[in-house]
Amino acid sequence: MRIPPKYTQALAVTVLGAATVFTVVVLVFIIVFVLSKGLPGINWEFLFSAPKDMGRAGGIFPTLVGTVLLPLMAIAIALPLGVGTAVYLTEYTRETRLTQVLRFGTDCLAGIPSILFGLFGFIFFVVMLKMGWCLLSGGLTLAIMVLPTIIRTSEEAIRAVPNSYREVSFSLGATRWETVLKVVLPNALPGIVTGVMLGIGRSIGETAAVIFTAGSALRMPASAFDSVRTMSVHFYILAREGISNEKAYATAAVLIISVLLVNLAAYSTMHRFIARRSR
Amino acid sequence: MTAPLPIKIAAHDFRVFHGQEESLRGITLNIPANRILGVIGPSGSGKTTFLRALNRLNDLAPETRINGQVLLDGQDIYAPSFNVVTLRKRVGMLFALPVALPMSIFENVVYGPRLSGVRNRKRLDEIVETSLKAAFLWDEVRDRLTMSGLRLSGGQQQRLCLARVLAMEELEVILLDEPCSGLDPISTAKIEEALTILKAKYTIILVTNNTKQAARVADETAFFLMGDMVEYGATDKIFTVPDDKRTNDYVTGRFG
Repeated sequence: MRIPPKYTQALAVTVLGAATVFTVVVLVFIIVFVLSKGLPGINWEFLFSAPKDMGRAGGIFPTLVGTVLLPLMAIAIALPLGVGTAVYLTEYTRETRLTQVLRFGTDCLAGIPSILFGLFGFIFFVVMLKMGWCLLSGGLTLAIMVLPTIIRTSEEAIRAVPNSYREVSFSLGATRWETVLKVVLPNALPGIVTGVMLGIGRSIGETAAVIFTAGSALRMPASAFDSVRTMSVHFYILAREGISNEKAYATAAVLIISVLLVNLAAYSTMHRFIARRSR
Repeated sequence: MTAPLPIKIAAHDFRVFHGQEESLRGITLNIPANRILGVIGPSGSGKTTFLRALNRLNDLAPETRINGQVLLDGQDIYAPSFNVVTLRKRVGMLFALPVALPMSIFENVVYGPRLSGVRNRKRLDEIVETSLKAAFLWDEVRDRLTMSGLRLSGGQQQRLCLARVLAMEELEVILLDEPCSGLDPISTAKIEEALTILKAKYTIILVTNNTKQAARVADETAFFLMGDMVEYGATDKIFTVPDDKRTNDYVTGRFG
């Protein structure tokens, strides 16, 4: 039996609306829950002093630094590799068996649980290359972990650049590389930024892969060869080992706020960039 | 015709294949310098394929092969030693749909010169002014050169595209692929007026679906049909007393 159009319309609005409301409510609930438990514990001293007694007292400054440095290092490594791969796959090769295999490979890589990346990083960087638990081992491991995301989002963004732009550029005597640099990448930038944001989000939230490779030292890192603890790892250890629930929630609240700030900053930068180009 | 005109572009039994299909079936045509050649014919006749072959934009399509020769000033543009980047700077192209790049009007115009290494700001300013004037767009945009090219109207964008082609200092030949198909009559008139002035300096090849346009501006006209060039001659002759019946049928609007 066919449902009359006016009912399908009402049904669609109800079902889709309910899905949206459910998603938003769950999201808001989590944020409000964490903030309400964590915000009271946040003050300048908490943010900018070293932890005492395994994190039972004191602040989280070293983990704050670790949370900034580790994703930065991961993105610094993954961004050129990822965008380079995406440009190569889209602009420099025709669709062949090889590119299909490469794409399939990246897709599979994107779905692998992070603990496996952690294990690989531990065996390869920490043990085989004798780098030990350190910022660099962690950064490299996270870079490998976020690489598929950056490749795929960049690839989609590059594909979305109208072919007519490339044609115009070629017809004006540009080489392929000049076309990539002057036309393709600037127009794909918003999409690439989205990929980078997803990558940063994943690395900030990562615990398993980080504990295995960057370690969990609570000291302030002095170089790339020092072990660091990120806020996510700190939160995990505080909660898992029952050290301090209050400090755990405060850390989680800082984590959520930082992720929001990073996103806001990225989006406003991007909008300013787009506005400047279409003024 | 009195004295033989110097030949700018010569095609000798030139063929283009898209996969298995032969899109151009052996075109032999001498295009004289400083003239406007109109290329007419129904869609699918190979006009655009021919035009795109002249600055090797067909290279970008993976399944395309060519056979025969195209000579620019006597040099084979498909010879391995011929630099395709130089070719495209000498042979500019205006597309059917105006494509302003998403950058300012100024940057659109200097896209070619910048690639050729022009850095001097004063020189770039001069190039922008002369090119926009030649494309009859200067008066409309002189006060907003930093505005995005995307915010211009379709007719203005097409003139911007023309200015962008004219800005190339190495330019010798202008290819136009139905440049007025989406434009209003006033913009069309401006482009046509620009072309009749520009032929003093350049060789112009105008592919058009609008036979009246060819009759208005072209000195010579070639009629293409299903990958063959049926007839080539002075525009007056093609439109009044063509040799071939098919040409006559087409220009009088009996098919097409």
